[in-house]
Amino acid sequence: MLQHGPLLERLLAGDFICQVTDEDAFRHLSNEQTQQDINHYLRPLNRRLVGNDDNSVFFLGYFDLNKDAREQLSSQFTLTVQSLLPLLEWLQLVQETLGRDSALTAGDTIKLQEFVLRTEDNQSLRQRLNQLASDRFFNSQSEQLDNQVKLIFRRLKEHGYLLQPHHDRQYYVVTGKIDYLIDVIRFIRDEEQLPVDDTPSQEALL
Amino acid sequence: MAPTDTGIASNLFNIGAERLALLGKHHKALMQGYLDGFIDETAFSEGALKKLIAARILWRPDEQQPLALRPLLSELIASMVADENRRQINADVAEKLEQIRNRVQAYRDAQYKGDYSVAELQLQRLTEHVHDLSGQFEEAIDSLWHRLNSDFGFVASLDDKIRENERAQKQLRRLLDGLDLLDFNELIELAEGNNHLRKLLVSQLQHQLSSHHSSLLEVQKRLVELLAKFRQQQARSMLITNMAAFLRQHPKYQPADYPNRSELPTLFNQAAAIVPKAAIALDKASERQVLAELVRALPRYQPIALDDTQSASFSMALIDEEIAARQQALKTDVENFYLRVIDKGGKLSALEYLQQQALAWDSEIWLYQIIAEYQALPQDEKQMFAILRDEAPASSMNQLLLIRDISLQLQAA
Repeated sequence: MLQHGPLLERLLAGDFICQVTDEDAFRHLSNEQTQQDINHYLRPLNRRLVGNDDNSVFFLGYFDLNKDAREQLSSQFTLTVQSLLPLLEWLQLVQETLGRDSALTAGDTIKLQEFVLRTEDNQSLRQRLNQLASDRFFNSQSEQLDNQVKLIFRRLKEHGYLLQPHHDRQYYVVTGKIDYLIDVIRFIRDEEQLPVDDTPSQEALL
Repeated sequence: MAPTDTGIASNLFNIGAERLALLGKHHKALMQGYLDGFIDETAFSEGALKKLIAARILWRPDEQQPLALRPLLSELIASMVADENRRQINADVAEKLEQIRNRVQAYRDAQYKGDYSVAELQLQRLTEHVHDLSGQFEEAIDSLWHRLNSDFGFVASLDDKIRENERAQKQLRRLLDGLDLLDFNELIELAEGNNHLRKLLVSQLQHQLSSHHSSLLEVQKRLVELLAKFRQQQARSMLITNMAAFLRQHPKYQPADYPNRSELPTLFNQAAAIVPKAAIALDKASERQVLAELVRALPRYQPIALDDTQSASFSMALIDEEIAARQQALKTDVENFYLRVIDKGGKLSALEYLQQQALAWDSEIWLYQIIAEYQALPQDEKQMFAILRDEAPASSMNQLLLIRDISLQLQAA
């Protein structure tokens, strides 16, 4: 267990561990024996290792769902639901602004400067960004595009969706927490049978 | 026989060499024609155009149409520059097989007649056909790998990539069908009793084709994987778009209370953070040594022994003046910084300014003075400036925010 000290600390602090955030740790976590060891260690803290649907990202959940745990989960869930729309809009905005042909996935790199430059010259993107920045989730008070973008990216970094490999360089890597977000959306869609399609219609397939 | 043969050959040689030279002579205009899809006739003289048409390099597909490159030439260029948008794959094996059969027959006939020079020529042609057949697969496989490794980057949209991938898979199936047409029992029969033929048709060709076959299977596997990835990306994009649209239309939408279900979905089992804290343990004798060293390493308070100054008032006044002068200079520089911010209108970083102006102030003192100056401004003037701190926690354990830089900006009134 000694060798996993730093990893345990990160997990306990609420970090999501994926291939992008910590490749070594992620490899360890993918090992079933290590999972058991970690769960055994975490048992007295009422924590256990949880993975998303395809185990591309790991985080800690409760072992025993007592009253306190349920309360904490409820408030966490409320936050997650509130963050859905701003996050989805951000994903769309990045995809459109950078002219990408697919949605962002773990490992993709975003250069802040490129994003700013492309938004600057486009009135409609500018407006959407403005609206997004003032959303409660990002909560920007600034009118300046540069500050708005910086704040948005900083907030996403704080929430673990982005990783900034070098503190003084303005480029970001998308982490596996995005996969988690997509899984959450898919789960809600399936559970509630929302009219939200993710397969192209038959015509498009032909 | 022999002299006419060389006559034809040398005639062929001359025409071929001349026409190849034509390609080289007009290479830029022809390549432009490849890219544009038609030839700019003004780029050539009339004579040159006639020659190019006669050489079957250019043609006019229709009377109304401008001149264009012949398809074979376009194909050659596409293959040379690996332009996957226009590269063709030739999966026709039956025709090649037929030619091989005929050549083998002609070769055997010539040998039977004892005409060894003709037999030699036929064998030469046969070798070319066999190499063509193998080269045809090699070219196709090269093209497929090239497309695969570039993730079908030569088309822009995901939908196009999916279509291109499906097209590649169809080509691949045709190539595999073509390989199936090759019946080695037949080739063995064709080569019977002749060492040259056996080597060419059986050992060499079989070896090459079996390696092509395994290459094709590998490409097929990868194409299928990539298509699955494309489809997944497509599904993800659609999910994002449609879910965002749904949430926008239903701003009050609230999903069920999953956290309080008896069967909690694991996705929502996200525990609160625990930040482990630690302090020095004084009860462990073995660690005393380390602790003692830590304590010793702490910076100690050292009272500065001031000399008795007899003429204190005089020297103190001097030092005071010096300090005051420095203080005043710092104030002036900071004021200049504020003036620059007003002039510039945009955001200005304090440290960058310090560096640009090559001012000698310590960066920390500089930042302090800028903050002090800002705090000293009257309330209404304060509102004119936006002061932005670039700060970060000292470490993950220490929430103390350290200021790295300050940016000042004129606020629109």
